[in-house]
Amino acid sequence: MIAATTPAVVAHNLSAGKGAQNAFSGVSFQLPPASFTALAGANGSGKTTLFETLLGLVPPRAGSIEVLGQSARKARSHVAYVPQASHLVLDVQFSGREFVAAAYNGRSWGITWRIRAAARAVDRALRQVDAQDLAQRRLADLSGGQRQRLLIAQALVNQPRLIFMDEPLAQLDPSAQDRIVALAARLRNTLGIAVLFSTHDVNTVVDVADQLLYMAGGSGRIGSIDEIVTDDVLSALYGVPMHVVRERDRLFIMRDHGGPACQTKVTRIATSRRQA
Amino acid sequence: MTWPALLDMAFMRHAFAAGTCIAIAGSMIGYFVVLRRQAFAAHALSNVGFAGAAGASLAGVDPMLGLFIFVMAAAVVMAAAGENVGDRDVSVGMILMFSLGLGILFVNLYSANADAAIGILFGSVLGISTAQMQLTAVVSLVVLVFLGALFRPLRFASLNPQAAHARGVPVAAISMLFLLLLGAVASVSVPVIGSLLSFAIFVGPASAAQTWTKRVTTGLALTVLLALIEVWGGIAASYYVNWPASSCIASLSFGFYAAGWLSKHAGFHTLLGRTRATTPYANAAAD
Repeated sequence: MIAATTPAVVAHNLSAGKGAQNAFSGVSFQLPPASFTALAGANGSGKTTLFETLLGLVPPRAGSIEVLGQSARKARSHVAYVPQASHLVLDVQFSGREFVAAAYNGRSWGITWRIRAAARAVDRALRQVDAQDLAQRRLADLSGGQRQRLLIAQALVNQPRLIFMDEPLAQLDPSAQDRIVALAARLRNTLGIAVLFSTHDVNTVVDVADQLLYMAGGSGRIGSIDEIVTDDVLSALYGVPMHVVRERDRLFIMRDHGGPACQTKVTRIATSRRQA
Repeated sequence: MTWPALLDMAFMRHAFAAGTCIAIAGSMIGYFVVLRRQAFAAHALSNVGFAGAAGASLAGVDPMLGLFIFVMAAAVVMAAAGENVGDRDVSVGMILMFSLGLGILFVNLYSANADAAIGILFGSVLGISTAQMQLTAVVSLVVLVFLGALFRPLRFASLNPQAAHARGVPVAAISMLFLLLLGAVASVSVPVIGSLLSFAIFVGPASAAQTWTKRVTTGLALTVLLALIEVWGGIAASYYVNWPASSCIASLSFGFYAAGWLSKHAGFHTLLGRTRATTPYANAAAD
């Protein structure tokens, strides 16, 4: 039994990678229970490797990691991973219900004998993502947002305490994006699930995220969005001068080219590198 | 005991018994072949059997043994070659090409009996011995037992391999085991319906059934039903019309596939489902 107060993830000075080089090193962060953490960073910044490390699929090269108070491997039965929809073949004729049911006790051998328990678990998961109307529809006929909701339902069917969502907003139109973000926030609020949610655009989760883990330049920093999305922090992470513009409540992160403010930043980055 | 005219001869009984076993085991494994998009691997594994049987004849051992060894070895190499679909197609094609090259060499060197080669390529369902029938039954049963044991992780890993992997399902080991089971069925189906035509059992019924059903269990049931119709129809037709059974089986398989394709593309795939297909665009607006 995992206590409700047990942190979902405690990572200390974590380094990991699959190739010769580390994808990231020296990353420390904590995901509290029932929290929403946005995970941002460019392609290749180590977001996927971080997920794999937290799932116990890639061993850390340095540092320590604890998931739900135990090792990442042991915690797996309480953790669910929602992969990027574009990595899956979802153009299939199965009903939404059947797709969700495929994950129910999917790790156990044999066939499902407890059909009614399975049906209840699937019904509950479909209700939690508000997708009862998709239960009898074919996956091939559904939109990206509808498929994404079913992917999340599939992750919920085994009642996880922690969910990793890998770019769930990719290739969705804005209204479908809002719906998925609201759904992820609801999982935190009503089910007490800790959510780690990777996205390219911090603006999509600004209203709901409790904290932001920003990966760049082979490292990562955690804090509130206001703490992290600043000129200084992003410049230090990327190792080049970065500039954040706020316009009508939206954040725009851009490379800083020239200007006196930029020169100050270059000096500061050089100094901080020397100290590190 | 008296048999109906169709089953009066022992060879007809053997044909029906072996054909039934292959229809059930082959089409059930074929259901997952289609789901996992490994139709090319299924075709290639059946054809590797030709080289194995020809090589064994040349070496003077039981062709079935050579067939089995070649097919299983090819299954291991295919599984080890990787998961990426693009890489997979190329490596499967390479194995297929190499084995066919070997096969024709073996047939060339062993010129005593070219008919045996034709038998392997196109099958000889009416020439099944008692021992072969028993072997077919045992292998089919073993494959079905394994398939039952693998059912849940295989279904999960086939529909969402990454989520399954994250949950601790040994996805790579399951892929390997699945190809070995496919190889085992191919080894017994090749002498019956032939290397070139085993595809009729592995892919035709399952692909038709998957367009007409929305659940794995009903899909599997329909797959088996269609495969049994294929095989029984093929053998009966060969008895009454005196055409090769494999030709009838292949024609029925193509017919099922074509019917499935037509019903999907004509938009009336409500044959066994309840909801009418709508375009993804209509839903995008609703979402």
